[in-house]
Amino acid sequence: MVAIYYVMIVNILYFTITGLSFRNIFKIYRRSKYSSYNTLSGSELVPSVSLLVPAYNEELTIIENVYCLMTLNYPTYEVIVINDGSSDHTLSVLIKEFKLVKMVNPEIRGTIDTNNVRGIYHNPDYPQLFIIDKENGGKADSLNAGINFSHYPLISSIDADSLLEKDALIRMARMYMENPEEMVAIGGDVRIANGCLIENGAVQKVSLPRKIWPMFQSIEYLKAFLGGRIGWSHINGLVIVSGAFGLFRKDYVIAVGGYRGGYPGEDMNIIIKLHRYMLSHKLPYKVAFCPEAVCWTQAPDSYKIISNQRMRWGRGNLKNMIENRGMLFNPKYKVMGMITMPYNVLFETLNPYFRITGLLALLGYTLLDMTHWRILLTFFLLNFLSGYLLSVGAIILEEIAFRRFKKLSDLWKMLLFSALKFVGYHQLGVIWRVQGHIQYLRKNNSWGAMTRQSWKEESEPA
Amino acid sequence: MFSHLTVAYTFIYVCLGLIALGIILLIQMKVSHNKEQQRREMYERKHHDYFMYIQAHVENEGALRLPPGKLKPLERRVIQDKFMEWIEQFKGECRDRLIQMCRDAGFVEADLKALGSFRYGRRLEAAYRLGGMRAEEAVPALLKMLQEGKYSSMSIIIARSIAKSARKSEDVLEMLRSLLSHGKPIHHLAADIMLETGLDAGSLLMKLLDDQDPALIKVGLVAMWGQAVPEVMPVLGRLVGSEEKDVRAEAVKLYLSSNPALKDETIVQLMNDRNWEVRAAAAKALGPLHAAGSIPLLVKALQDANWKVRHNSAESLAKLGEAGFEALCQAALSGAGIQREAALQRIELEMEKEQEHSAIEQMVAYNKKRLIHDRYFGVKRQPVARVTGVAAVGGDYTA
Amino acid sequence: MPESVTLQREKGEGLYQNLGERLKETSRELCGIMFLYCSAGSPQLESLVRDFLQHESGMEFEVLKDASTQTLAILLPGLTLDATHYQALLLKQHLQETMEGADPRITLTVFPGQVDPTPGVLRQMAESTRLSTSSDIHIFTKEEAIQEPGRILIVDNDDTIREFLTIRLKMQGFETLEALDGTSALELIEKWEPDLVLTELNLYGIDGLPFIHQIQQLPVENTPKIVVLTEQRVERTISQCFQNGVDDYVTKPFSPVELDARIHRCFH
Repeated sequence: MVAIYYVMIVNILYFTITGLSFRNIFKIYRRSKYSSYNTLSGSELVPSVSLLVPAYNEELTIIENVYCLMTLNYPTYEVIVINDGSSDHTLSVLIKEFKLVKMVNPEIRGTIDTNNVRGIYHNPDYPQLFIIDKENGGKADSLNAGINFSHYPLISSIDADSLLEKDALIRMARMYMENPEEMVAIGGDVRIANGCLIENGAVQKVSLPRKIWPMFQSIEYLKAFLGGRIGWSHINGLVIVSGAFGLFRKDYVIAVGGYRGGYPGEDMNIIIKLHRYMLSHKLPYKVAFCPEAVCWTQAPDSYKIISNQRMRWGRGNLKNMIENRGMLFNPKYKVMGMITMPYNVLFETLNPYFRITGLLALLGYTLLDMTHWRILLTFFLLNFLSGYLLSVGAIILEEIAFRRFKKLSDLWKMLLFSALKFVGYHQLGVIWRVQGHIQYLRKNNSWGAMTRQSWKEESEPA
Repeated sequence: MFSHLTVAYTFIYVCLGLIALGIILLIQMKVSHNKEQQRREMYERKHHDYFMYIQAHVENEGALRLPPGKLKPLERRVIQDKFMEWIEQFKGECRDRLIQMCRDAGFVEADLKALGSFRYGRRLEAAYRLGGMRAEEAVPALLKMLQEGKYSSMSIIIARSIAKSARKSEDVLEMLRSLLSHGKPIHHLAADIMLETGLDAGSLLMKLLDDQDPALIKVGLVAMWGQAVPEVMPVLGRLVGSEEKDVRAEAVKLYLSSNPALKDETIVQLMNDRNWEVRAAAAKALGPLHAAGSIPLLVKALQDANWKVRHNSAESLAKLGEAGFEALCQAALSGAGIQREAALQRIELEMEKEQEHSAIEQMVAYNKKRLIHDRYFGVKRQPVARVTGVAAVGGDYTA
Repeated sequence: MPESVTLQREKGEGLYQNLGERLKETSRELCGIMFLYCSAGSPQLESLVRDFLQHESGMEFEVLKDASTQTLAILLPGLTLDATHYQALLLKQHLQETMEGADPRITLTVFPGQVDPTPGVLRQMAESTRLSTSSDIHIFTKEEAIQEPGRILIVDNDDTIREFLTIRLKMQGFETLEALDGTSALELIEKWEPDLVLTELNLYGIDGLPFIHQIQQLPVENTPKIVVLTEQRVERTISQCFQNGVDDYVTKPFSPVELDARIHRCFH
């Protein structure tokens, strides 16, 4: 029936994209191994970057994050932390640690509308660090305020709980420098830091998470980033650059009106807007993905937090699709319009509905006539095996180019959990997405709780 | 629907087969990578004494000896990698000696052979190593490799190897021509690659600036950022009149940064140029110049559409003594919008500098400014705050 | 070297005296000398060494033994310092292959060179061989014979650079310690009080200008001099460093000779 066709088409698409990733992986491996950064990392010729870090109630992790960002291996850059009206001590913790003083007359160059900025803090002893204190307005609003104040032509949006690797930024900049006019946005690789040994603001030893929820997400991220984004970026159909670590051309971001506030999903939204803008103006461009530039983040490890996060993603995703429905099957938008957006609508946003109806139909059919249990089994096996094959593919990609997981036991663990994903985690994901849609339709827009844990808890040796 | 079941079944079997294959491949890859890693570490430990020997005596006159005993290929790689690390970090005689050792040990020869390998991966690896060992024999083959391939990250890797190894400047120039022939505006990257060369940078820059190709000229100009290269100055004068917009802007910036004496007409021309970078550079240069007619020009430039031009004009006005400062205050009071804002910003900054002066002349100048300021704005009780500078490095794009 | 170990001087007296006199006679000719000590102390050691050196073609040698301390003194007339070092590493490799559980310790130098061949110095060399804590081959330098070497703290995350700098600076007689990142460097400066800090600007923990500031604000009696050895070549960074009291700034790739000169300048 329709369900089986649907499953087959979506799998063909997945496999094509993963195939493209495989085609490119050796190039990425060589690029990562043989590009040298020792002259670039100290050179005047590298473009300057403003790092924008929106922070809301991050008092536990913000200091470590700022120290990590201040010790990046990059010639000229600044770190702008935007305190989004936190209700905890985020601002005072920062002021105390870095002995910041309020700037008397800060020059704000930009003109995007944001909520009121209460003040900007700085200490000449730390010349690269600026803290913007403003009234609460959400992540997009904070980023826009940061853009208004920033001094450099490239901006990078970074989450307050991301730990960048030392040379992550210079690798992205190298990719930008190889094609400056056309690069509009570059996304980095986000990996799960749970279970890794973290010291001195960096991940010193990589290992797999010990709890189940982060473990599932680890596999999920590998599949999505390595299996998916490499392939999509090759055909310039990348629809999202992770908000945790992405590099943008400031002038183009301003040209599309900055980040859209008031609703989650602003990271996908800005990319779609950029695609639209460049395609409408017929400018040659590229939205790229740089898997060698790695950012480590803390994954939620309890049901409540992760479900909130996924529901938020579901809401944001639906809103982005509806807002941009003019792009669907519109040949003016080339790959984005003809392939990426329809793919996203049919196989990501509407995925739950097809699967659920298909499943129910098959169940119904089987119940009517029990001899057809084979069909149900076939359906399940198809889903399971194709998904598992894609996971194995992603793990192979990781092994070819990056090799961050050294132990053989890590390999077994990953293979095991890739299988276990289908016994519940996958289904939960579907449910959360539907819940997100319901929230959207009900106009329920609360952020939900995200309790932050200190990095120290995660730094027990593996 | 049932006919599709057979398709589904085949699909399932194919999946199972591929999964099994994939897992076997994974295990094999992981085991072999781990083994290689272990062997590398073992060889590093084994030759630790030899490495210490080299590091201790790399300065001395006598020739250094080769590693003792018969070496397996991975051992040779480990030693070669170590040598390459040192060559990368050192300059001067040390480096030359190490390069000679790589030749004597036969590493260069081995990689030259690998350059002809069937697999692209091997060739690229050999190109990288030969660059690391600064092997000039490889340059012709590398140039060919660069010209044959499409433009990609690999081209950059090969180009760097050429830059490091080349002993003749024509080779470097040809490499740049090849790189830039694809039409990508990678002048900054090309300048960085070119600067890795062991040849004399000054003469190479001269050749670049004299070239016909505007792309090469731009690379030369960009490579001079942040460095004063006096022999190049006369050539800049010619380039200021160039047609290419980018070349002009870069040349003007560099020319002005050396604070030359400018004629009045030149000043007017530059301040009215179409390119904002030229205007901004001119405005900035007028500050230290103390030319008579600058003040009205700068006041006009306070209304410029571009933020950088306004900022630099205000800065220069503040440097032009009392008359300049007075003009600023006047602009702040009587002007409107962006002119007022730019003027005010600069005035505030100057007033805050109260704490900074040690020399008498500076104190005197500051007090004079204070008087003018109070005359225009009235005496204000201002808290003495630290001067916080705004970093204005690099271009800015405002909407 | 632990200072609280007493040395049985009486028995070894004669050997060093003789050695000292002999070397003084031939003081204008080059002669390499190495002291070899094996904690396993096998009686075949001497014969093994003799056999090995005999197989090395065209080389004169002489092997003497200090019976009380089981240390061997090997004379290699006509060899330069680097040639002696090379022979030492060949010998060490040979011993490790042929003797079970051998852990040979070697200290070597060349006369005429940095030190004079007095019996005191020779005894000191032998002692340092026996008491050596690392299994690396050790080159005996002039400043070890004197007291009060200068203290240098080397801060860099890159192992290669640290190792090279440590070897070089030790050979010139400085006392060195290594630190991998900013935070441990600050701790060491406070505890160890070096005279000079040779640092990279790109570190983990804390780096760049904030790091320089912190060094200068540490509660030590004499703020150490700071020499920056880094890849950063941005004008602004360089001038900011100098404004903040850095004594010298060397960019990578660097010439070791130049670096030595700059460091020595800081010590005078």
